[in-house]
Amino acid sequence: MEKKVDYSLRVEMTNMEKLTDIKREKGKVGFVDKSVWITLLILLVLPFLISKPLATEILIYGLFALAFNLLLGHTGVLSFGHAAYFGVGAYAGGMALRYFHVSVWTSLVVAMVVTALVAAGIGILAIKRKGVYFAMISLAFAQMFYFMALSPFKKWTGGEDGLKFIPILKLEFPFHVDLTSALPLYYFTYFVVGLAIIALWRILDSPFGRVLKAIRENEVRTRATGFNVNKAKFLSLVISGSFSGLAGALFTVYLGYGSLMTLFWMTSGSILMMTLLGGMHTFIGPVVGVGVFMYLQNTISVYTDRWQLFVGGLFVVLVLFFPDGLVGTIKMKYRERKSRA
Amino acid sequence: MFDLSWEIVAMQMIFGLALGCVYVLMAGGLSIIFGLLDVVNFAHGTFYMLGAYAIFVAVSLCGNFWLGLVSAVVIVALVGGVIEWLLLKPLYKRDPLYPLLLTFGVSICIPDIIKICFGLIGKVVPYPSGFMGAFMLGPVMVPKYRLFIIVLTLVVLISLWLFLNKSNLGMIIRASTRDSLMTQTLGINVSRIWTIGFMIGIGLAALAGAVAAPMVASIPDMGVEMTIECFVVVVIGGLGSLGGAIIGGLLIGQVVSFVALFAPAWSNVAIFMAMAIILIIRPRGLFGEEGRL
Amino acid sequence: MQLETNGVCKYFGGLKAVDGVDFSLSSGQLKSIIGPNGAGKTTFFNLLSGFYLPTKGAIRFEGKDISRKSMDQVSQRGITKTFQITQIFPRLTVFENVRIAAQSRKTAFNFWRRAGRFHDVNGKALEVLELVMLLDSRERIASNLSHGEKRYLEIGMALAAEPKVLLLDEPTAGMSPAETVDATHLIRDIADRLNLTIVLVEHDMSVVMEISDDILVLHEGKVLAEGNPKTISDNEEVQRVYLGGGK
Repeated sequence: MEKKVDYSLRVEMTNMEKLTDIKREKGKVGFVDKSVWITLLILLVLPFLISKPLATEILIYGLFALAFNLLLGHTGVLSFGHAAYFGVGAYAGGMALRYFHVSVWTSLVVAMVVTALVAAGIGILAIKRKGVYFAMISLAFAQMFYFMALSPFKKWTGGEDGLKFIPILKLEFPFHVDLTSALPLYYFTYFVVGLAIIALWRILDSPFGRVLKAIRENEVRTRATGFNVNKAKFLSLVISGSFSGLAGALFTVYLGYGSLMTLFWMTSGSILMMTLLGGMHTFIGPVVGVGVFMYLQNTISVYTDRWQLFVGGLFVVLVLFFPDGLVGTIKMKYRERKSRA
Repeated sequence: MFDLSWEIVAMQMIFGLALGCVYVLMAGGLSIIFGLLDVVNFAHGTFYMLGAYAIFVAVSLCGNFWLGLVSAVVIVALVGGVIEWLLLKPLYKRDPLYPLLLTFGVSICIPDIIKICFGLIGKVVPYPSGFMGAFMLGPVMVPKYRLFIIVLTLVVLISLWLFLNKSNLGMIIRASTRDSLMTQTLGINVSRIWTIGFMIGIGLAALAGAVAAPMVASIPDMGVEMTIECFVVVVIGGLGSLGGAIIGGLLIGQVVSFVALFAPAWSNVAIFMAMAIILIIRPRGLFGEEGRL
Repeated sequence: MQLETNGVCKYFGGLKAVDGVDFSLSSGQLKSIIGPNGAGKTTFFNLLSGFYLPTKGAIRFEGKDISRKSMDQVSQRGITKTFQITQIFPRLTVFENVRIAAQSRKTAFNFWRRAGRFHDVNGKALEVLELVMLLDSRERIASNLSHGEKRYLEIGMALAAEPKVLLLDEPTAGMSPAETVDATHLIRDIADRLNLTIVLVEHDMSVVMEISDDILVLHEGKVLAEGNPKTISDNEEVQRVYLGGGK
């Protein structure tokens, strides 16, 4: 009988036991990282610092960016068509509200489920292919949805005008909230987005999340270690898409109608830029990127229509000189100073 | 169904063929840039748009279509060279994501610059004299300009093939792919080779835009859709070879042409559905990812 | 026979990198594969680990055919490897590199618990780091390690996945003579202590002669000779083709 490999190394166990109880990894407070708490705190008071509609958009796009970055910054897969999920979520939520008269909570769930299915479909077709092909295919699908909503399915989607005539938005459960009023709308969105942020953080900190990071670092090594990389990427895409769809549904609630722009290619481009601006290798960076970007957009577009030129130029500068983004660069400088001290 | 004579079908095929040739030029340029530099040029359609504008400017200045065509291609290729030298080159040593992102950034900036210079209204380039209208090939009506595009594409492809396979510079270019060991050992100024290769790819895109200009109005945002359609061609045919670009481009040209005839509401969606269908049947594209079976 | 191949071939177009190799390995053995450059050693390794699909022939592990299994499936079955060019997770810490490898056997797709809380996985990672002498470096970022330390890290990662067979592709490549001696002892130590089966591809003949139970010589994709170190070093054909009056 072949001798089994003996893995019972019991080398200096007393030392081991002390080390095994890995001291609380630095920075964690309670069940998420302190950067998350700080962000949630800032977002709590945001509507009193800037205009309420802008704050609500920052929440929604912030969630979208975090979901997008699950795939890009943490798994290492670039999707150039994430507007597909944002837009499908927006329309699915809107259609559920308009044609099936469901509650707002239900519309959010419907949006997440439908978007997850769409992401799964795209994943089955494309996730196994090399990165550049996935980027192109994702863009192509997003464009397909855009054109579908624009023309052949105009009867259901409203075409260029968007999905209108959604019933008056309000919450009945657990208590009555008038969602057409700016402040209640903001805190409703804050509640949903806050939960989503915590969920995303927990997913990234789980064993599954670690596998995603390993894939980003070295896909071959991850495969050689015994992980089914395609399955992990697929799941990452579905989760990323689903939360993007949630953001889209929230956007419809915020606007009061389903906008065609949610499917437009520039939406995919914007979310990429905002994520990069904040820092794609950090958790909360994308949210910061969204905040800065939207604030700038709000300010600058008062002066000029040529917003794209500014954005594109900023993007080029970012890619060339600040690839770590705002939060990433700050983190690096902080670490450098600490190690020098 | 409506009264469909085979003459109409034949003419539609010719339209599809001409459109396909535009796609072939675009996809070919994209493949060359990818094959050489390992970069997917997200701004490829932008240079197509620049080609269309360049020929407009050139023809407005000198009045001659042919001179305009050549100068448009040369000027845009030079612009491409400058962009590669200044902006793209510093990024080669980084993660392959970054050059790609840079081309994306470029694709957003440039249309706005064009909007500032030329405004939003489309520019029209007149057909060259002698190529207006159509002639009868038996019972089939053949538009002269479309035929010109087909012939031109053929000439360009053959010249390109000869250049890449038979000339010294061409063979150096083929050997100088970014990940090949040869680039480090041969001692040739590879950097310059890469710029030239990029310019050739851009030149093809500009040519596509310039020849397409009389058929469509040149608008600043025409680049994005062309980039995306070009991607579809390349997903289907593979980024690795001109062969894949040719088959993919011609196929898509036919698809777009016939869908426009039968179901115009779906004409924008058709090529993506074609892509989806092909992905279902052959997940790696028609020719595999390398463009080879 | 724990691991064996039967006439396995790998052709790349016209290039016959591996051309009909019969290979067998019993449990607990330390077998080395040697041969001149281009003999097909790394290609053969890549076939064993599932990185390449064989063009022809079969690979059997513990009696079961694994010829068409993918790399992650082969790894899960108990064959792990290190690469000729070190493949680690550069921006993660040394500890995390090994922890992920340890996780691959125990809790791959858990979504909800905090990864840092799986004490058995953490414990395994620390044990392995102790074994490859990187315990003190566990908080360092992997890309900052020296070349030799990175090779050790990769060996640690391969071990953390609790393999039955360990494939090491030129583990001492790029190491200084002192590091090579240490690495040689470590490999033999691991083999003895854990009763692990090891297959080694090596260029350094001193390493091979010192620790191998058995040696396989490849030349142009085919088996040239097989036997224990003494037999091989006495073999004239091997001397001519490979050792060539060198060591």
